[in-house]
Order: sequence, then structure tokens, then C-alpha cells
Amino acid sequence: MGNHTEPEDFRSREFPVREDMAYQLKVWRFERVGWYGLVLLVILTLLGLFSRGPLSSRDVQSLDGRLGVKYELFHRNGSNNAMILHLKGQPGAVLEVELGGDWLEGFDVQALQPQPVRSASVGQGMTVWVQADVEGKAILYLSLVSAGLGIYHSRIAMSGSAVSFDQFIFP
Amino acid sequence: MDSVLRAAAMYLALMVLFKIAGRRSLADLTTFDFVLLMIIGEATQQALLGDDFSLTNALMVIVTLIAIDVGLSLLKQRSQWVSRLIDGGPTVIVEDGRILKSRMRLARLVEADIMEAARSSQGIETLEQIKFAIIERNGKISVIAKES
Repeated sequence: MGNHTEPEDFRSREFPVREDMAYQLKVWRFERVGWYGLVLLVILTLLGLFSRGPLSSRDVQSLDGRLGVKYELFHRNGSNNAMILHLKGQPGAVLEVELGGDWLEGFDVQALQPQPVRSASVGQGMTVWVQADVEGKAILYLSLVSAGLGIYHSRIAMSGSAVSFDQFIFP
Repeated sequence: MDSVLRAAAMYLALMVLFKIAGRRSLADLTTFDFVLLMIIGEATQQALLGDDFSLTNALMVIVTLIAIDVGLSLLKQRSQWVSRLIDGGPTVIVEDGRILKSRMRLARLVEADIMEAARSSQGIETLEQIKFAIIERNGKISVIAKES
């Protein structure tokens, strides 16, 4: 540690106080390593380890490209995040989207926009019917509040196209 | 249940964080340290209470924190090892008017810190008048003057 260490400096004194320099050196090393840890944590947070950042923001597409989902991989308990569904179908049709998996146990859906034509519960999840525009496109915005803890699995399906992903909620 | 877990987790996390920050971090409060302390308090408060602002929750958080604190002090009394782990030990940084440079560097101190303590506690003007300067366990620097 350092360029010029004087061995005399690290000898434990008995007077005026009883020292344990071997232990004190460990404490100082812990402080230094701890500081590196804190900096690393700050960098990881900036990168989105605790939601909102390159590590966390995801965009998945189904194989045929008709269904796309933008979501956050990491959430914090009590925080508010969006999930955006991009749907493509027949022009002017009503698209049936199944929001399945156990994610509804971990998230409160605060808002669902635009208001679906109809919605129903299916198993653990729900099915919503959304009106597509003249080009056959529809967007569904979900505002989610994380209420659970741990990993939750989602499976979003729309007539043959499906995407599956996991989301993690920090305490 | 979760108020106890919240309080215990926060106690542990803060303890580790302040161990990393070192014993001097909040020893001599400057104005800015005071502001920092208040901000830390504000940030902690939200996580401790969550969205439950009931009297029971607040009381349980306080009860848990005090219980851990008293428990630790009892443990410190019994075990030398725990006491040293939590409180650390004192360290000499000036000996017979000579600064122990390597120690001071590791403790992240500069000469001005020592002279400040020397002036305010002993009315000492120069380094040569100091017999011993010691960083105490609570992070304060105590200064013992040479007998003239």
C-alpha cells in the first residue's frame, strides 16, 4: 500500500494506548476496498442494474415481428414503470392479446391505455381486446407498480405470435 | 413482520456503509456533513416505513432498532472480538512531535486536521508541542501536549 511505507509506523504501540496495527491495517484495507465497491455500485446503478438503464430496458419482438414488448428487466419494490406493447394485425381488426404468466402477482396494473374494447381473466393472467388502426397497428401502454419481490415470468401472446420474458423486483 | 426486517436490514446496511466511510466521516461535523446527515436520514426514513404510516409500524421500527442497538452493546460487553469489530481501536498518529505519515495517509488525514484538534482542545500552536495525537474510536482526534 503506497510508495514509501515506514515499518516503524506500523509497529503496534503500547503507550499511550494499546494498539493492534495488524487489525487497523485490515480496517483501512476494508475502507479502501469498500470504496471501490461503492463506486462500482454507483456505476452499475447508472447502467440500470436497479431499473432504467441499458442493463434493464429491454425490447423483445416475436419471431414474426407482429408483437413487440418494451419492458424493464429490473424493478424496485414500490416503483412505477411502463410496459409498452406494439401489436400488428389486420387493418381495423380487434386484436386479442393474452397477458399470461405469474407477473400479475408481482405487479399492480395502475393504468391500461388505451382502454381495451373488452377484457377478461384467463388462468393467472388476463386477455384484452384492442382496436387496431387502419394500418393494423395498435399500441397498449401499461403502467406497472412493483408490489412483489423476486422473479416473475410473463408470456404475452397474440394469435400465434408470442414473447416470453422474466422480470426481477428488488426489495 | 416486514417492519422488523426493514429495520434490521437498514441497520445492517448503514453499519456496513459507515464502516466503509470510516470512523472520521461524521466525527467533526462541518456544515456540509450536517446537511449530508439530514439527507441520509430522509432517504432512510422512506425505506424504513415503506407505505405504511401507521403508529404500530413506526413503533415497531423504533423498537427493532433500539433492540438491535442494545443487543449489540450487550454483545460488545461480552466479546472483545465483537467490540473491536464494531468500534475498532484507537490509533496514534503523532508521537513526540513527529507525524506517522504512513498511518495518516491511510487514515485519510492531513496535518491541518491534527493542528485543528490541537488548537481547539489544547491551545497548541506547533507540531513540536504535541506529545501524542490519537484518533479515538469515535473518530475524534485527541491531543496530549508535551510538558513544558
